[in-house]
Amino acid sequence: MVRLRDLTLHLAKRELDATHRMTVLGWAWPLVRQLAQLAVLVFIFSKVLDLGIDNYPVFVFTGLIAWTWFAGGITSASSSLLAQRHLLFQARFPAVVLPVVALAVPLLDVLLALPLLLVLVAATEGLPWTVVLVPMLLAVQFVFMAGLAWIASAMSVFFRDVPNLVGLALMLLFYLTPIFYGLRNLPGRFRELLQINPLTTIVETYRALLLGDPLPGTGHLVAVCVLSVVVAVVGFAVFQRVQGRFVDQL
Amino acid sequence: MVLEGVWKSYPRWGASQRTLKALLLRRVPGRMTPSTRRWALRDISLRLEPGTITGLIGPNGAGKSTLLRLASGVGRADRGHIRLPPETASVLNLGHAFSPDLSGRENAYTAALMAGLPRRAATAALPLALDFAELEDFADAPLRTYSEGMKLRLAFGVIAQLAPQALLLDEVLAVGDLRFQHKCIAHIEALKADGTAILLASHGIQEVAERCDNAVWLQAGSVRATGPADGVVEQYREAMHSATLDRTPPQRGEPESLELRRNRFGSQALVIEDVSVMGSADSEVGVGGRLDVRFVLRPSAGLVRSPIIGLSVHRVADGLLCYDTSTQADGVVVGDVNGPLLVDLSFPCLDLLPGDYVLDIGAYEAQWEFAYDYHWHAYPLKVTGGAQDRGIFRPAHEWTLRGD
Repeated sequence: MVRLRDLTLHLAKRELDATHRMTVLGWAWPLVRQLAQLAVLVFIFSKVLDLGIDNYPVFVFTGLIAWTWFAGGITSASSSLLAQRHLLFQARFPAVVLPVVALAVPLLDVLLALPLLLVLVAATEGLPWTVVLVPMLLAVQFVFMAGLAWIASAMSVFFRDVPNLVGLALMLLFYLTPIFYGLRNLPGRFRELLQINPLTTIVETYRALLLGDPLPGTGHLVAVCVLSVVVAVVGFAVFQRVQGRFVDQL
Repeated sequence: MVLEGVWKSYPRWGASQRTLKALLLRRVPGRMTPSTRRWALRDISLRLEPGTITGLIGPNGAGKSTLLRLASGVGRADRGHIRLPPETASVLNLGHAFSPDLSGRENAYTAALMAGLPRRAATAALPLALDFAELEDFADAPLRTYSEGMKLRLAFGVIAQLAPQALLLDEVLAVGDLRFQHKCIAHIEALKADGTAILLASHGIQEVAERCDNAVWLQAGSVRATGPADGVVEQYREAMHSATLDRTPPQRGEPESLELRRNRFGSQALVIEDVSVMGSADSEVGVGGRLDVRFVLRPSAGLVRSPIIGLSVHRVADGLLCYDTSTQADGVVVGDVNGPLLVDLSFPCLDLLPGDYVLDIGAYEAQWEFAYDYHWHAYPLKVTGGAQDRGIFRPAHEWTLRGD
C-alpha cells in the first residue's frame, strides 16, 4: 500500500512537472483556464440571460470547481492506460495506479482554485462553519471518480471507442448537472429527473457546505456515499480481474 | 524462480477488431478459435537456482522476450504456473518508462520507485545510481538529450542499487560500451555470489558459454535443450552448422578450388567473390607487415538484412585458431545489402610469427543462425621472416638494458 501511494504521488508530480516545465505561467495555467470559463458563464447568465441567482459568480465557481475536476479527471483517466502503455510493460508495474494518477493531477486545479473561492465567499457572504467538511466531500467525490476511472480505463484497453464515449457522456453531463444553473430554476419533474444524477447531489452539497445553501435530502446524501463505495469496489474488482490481459491488447 | 508448464499465445488481431463496432458486428460471441492464436511459448518449464546464471539462447522470435516478460509479471500465461520471489528486478526494454522531458535524476528516481524501492530508499539510492552510471555531470539534463548508451547506463545504475532475489535481463547490455559492459558483468557476478538467481537472454552464445552456469535453448516457443551452459551452447552451435549444411546447395558444374559441401558452405543467398589476400607479395607477408583482405559480397536473390562478416586465421601446422573476428565483434554495422558490397579488411601490422596459415571468410545471418557463404580454409597465407622466437604472435617489443 505504501508503495502504491508513493508511486501514485510521484507519478502525479512527475506528470505535473512535465506539463508545466516548459510553460511561462507554469502552475497558474489551470487557474487561468478555470477563471476564463467562469468569466464567460458569469457574463452569459447574468448579463445576457439573467437566471436570477444571488451572488452568481460564487455560485457558478463552486459548481465549476467540482465539475472541472470530475470532467478533467475522468477524461484523462479513461485514456490513461492507452497513453502510458509503456509503463504497463515495465516489470511488475501496478497498473491500478495509473487511473488514480490521472485523477490526482486535476485535483491540483481544485486545490489552486479553492482558496480563491473561499476568499470570494468570505468577502461577499461570509464563510459558514461547514467549510471544514469540504475535504470529506472531496474524498467522496474522489472515491466515486476512482471507480468510474478504473472501469473506463480498463474497458478502453479492449475497446478503443471508450474515450470517445466518455467525452460524449461528459459533454451531455455538463448540461444535465446544475453547474451554471440551480435546481430551483427547473420545473418540478425535471428537478426529480436531474436528482438521479449523483453529480447533482455532489454539486448541491458543495454549495451547501461553502455557501450555506440548503443541503440535499439525507436520502440523496446516503445514496451518493453508498453508490461511490459500490462503484469503487466494483471498478477495482473489474480492473484487477482483467489487468492480466492488458499487455496483450496494447 | 520456477516456471511450470507455461503456455502463452497471442491472438492474431486484425486492426479493426478492437472497436465496439467489431464487437457489435460479431454475431457469434467468442468466435476466437485456436487457429487464430499464435503460440509464443509451449509448455516451458524451468527452474532458477539461487546463485546461478542461466542463459537464454535461441534465434529471434523463439520466445525469449516473451518468456522474460511473463517471468517479470508482465502479462499472464494461458496455462501453467510462474512462481517468482517477491523481490525480482528486470531490465527488459530500455528506458521505455523514461520521460523525455524530465532530467536523468528524476527519471532514475521514478525507475527506483517502480522497481519497488520505498521513497526514502529511492532517495538514498539516487546518488549511488548516478555514480554507477557515471552520469553525475548529466544528471540534470533532460532525458531526450541522452544517447541510447546513456539511457542504458541510467537504467542499469538504478537496477544496481537493488539486491534482488532474481534478476532478469533481456539482451540490453549489448547497447553499452565495452567498459560499461564489464562493469555490469562484474556487478552481476557479485549478485550471483550473494545468491541472486539470474536469467539473461543473449545472442552472444560465446558469452553464454563463458559466463552462465546453465543455459536454456528456445526454439519456436519450446525448450529444445537445457542443462549446463557449455553443453547446450555446443548443441546450439552444431545445429547452426547443420542448418548451414541443410541450406548449402549441391555443387554444380566444374569443381574448382572452392567446392560446395567440401570447403564452401551456406545458403548462397549472399556470395563471397573475388577474394584477394595481399601482403607484400600475393598471399605472403613479412612479420609485422601489412595485410589486406579484399572481397566482394554479392546478394544472389534480393536484399539481405544486416549480415555479419567474419574472418579467422588458422595455423596450418596444427590447426590452431590464431585469430577470429567479425563485424559484430568489432561493432561494425554492415546494414542491409542489396547490391555488391566491397569489403576491405586491413591489418596495418600483422604480428603473426613466420609460418603457414590459412584464412576462413564467412558471411552469416544477422543472428548467426546459419551462414550465407562460408569459405573454410580456403585462402593460404604465408608469413615470412627469419625470426627465432616462438609462440603465435610477435607483439612489437623492445629490450632495454641498463647497468649501474
